[in-house]
Amino acid sequence: MKVRKGREGAVRIRFEPEEAALVRTLTEQLLDLLGDPPGADDELAAVGITDRASAPDDPVLARLFPDAYRDDGEAAGEFRRYTEMGLRDGKREAAGIVLATLADAFGGGLPGGGRAEGRSGGRGRSGEVELTTEQAQAWLRSLNDVRLALGTRLDISEEWYEEAERLDPSDPRMPMYAAYDWLTMLQESLVRAVW
Amino acid sequence: MSSAPAPVELDRPDIAEDVASDRPWLAIVWNDPINLMSYVTYVFQAVFGYPKAKAEKLMMDVHHKGRAVVASGTREEMERDVEVLHSYGLWATVKRDD
Repeated sequence: MKVRKGREGAVRIRFEPEEAALVRTLTEQLLDLLGDPPGADDELAAVGITDRASAPDDPVLARLFPDAYRDDGEAAGEFRRYTEMGLRDGKREAAGIVLATLADAFGGGLPGGGRAEGRSGGRGRSGEVELTTEQAQAWLRSLNDVRLALGTRLDISEEWYEEAERLDPSDPRMPMYAAYDWLTMLQESLVRAVW
Repeated sequence: MSSAPAPVELDRPDIAEDVASDRPWLAIVWNDPINLMSYVTYVFQAVFGYPKAKAEKLMMDVHHKGRAVVASGTREEMERDVEVLHSYGLWATVKRDD
């Protein structure tokens, strides 16, 4: 993975096919977690309001959509009713930009299955994702959502790196830690390219 | 010459409400182990237009003190800011200044 600044705020990211497949898989999982947009017959949803006023049970969703008031459940509920749907839409949109720009760069040639599996199913070549400033900003937000999801599932602490180093290599959490570590590097590089 | 008005019991709750609504509200960002220091600084610049030095100081306050007040204003303005901060994945809350 290599992030480069292009002209006029553009950003280019070169991915190995396995790396691109990882981003795609995790982004698809994020989209699954965010759920489908509300149906057209939902009248409240049509004006951006949800009837749910309490924090989601899933700790990842609770982290993506935190309470906006710590000591006022009623105010937190009102805020949630009026904002959560729009926030979900924004996160879905950013994730969609990640998937679309990945598909532009790799077509169907990514390994590892998934929704966009292509003809060969074999290993592809490295590819370069070309992003406008706005697309790169969407990547930043969406990668951060993916890191929030992974990090919350792993119950990441400030000392996670030391904890991960002490893990047995056969620990089932190891691939998630590795993915989290790699996404962190990618996001760090991308922040510096977008800034 | 005027004299001091007679002490009259006035029922004027609107004044109390006006004073209360003038009290600024705060947007607070809380420390978390996932968001990157660079990303948080970037978000403060992108959302509030703060110069880099101010954004970095706020980020360091969040990091070392566990939280920082990143904006103040009316309740509506602070809710709007917190909504935007949530769109970036920051852990932000609204609070009345006390």
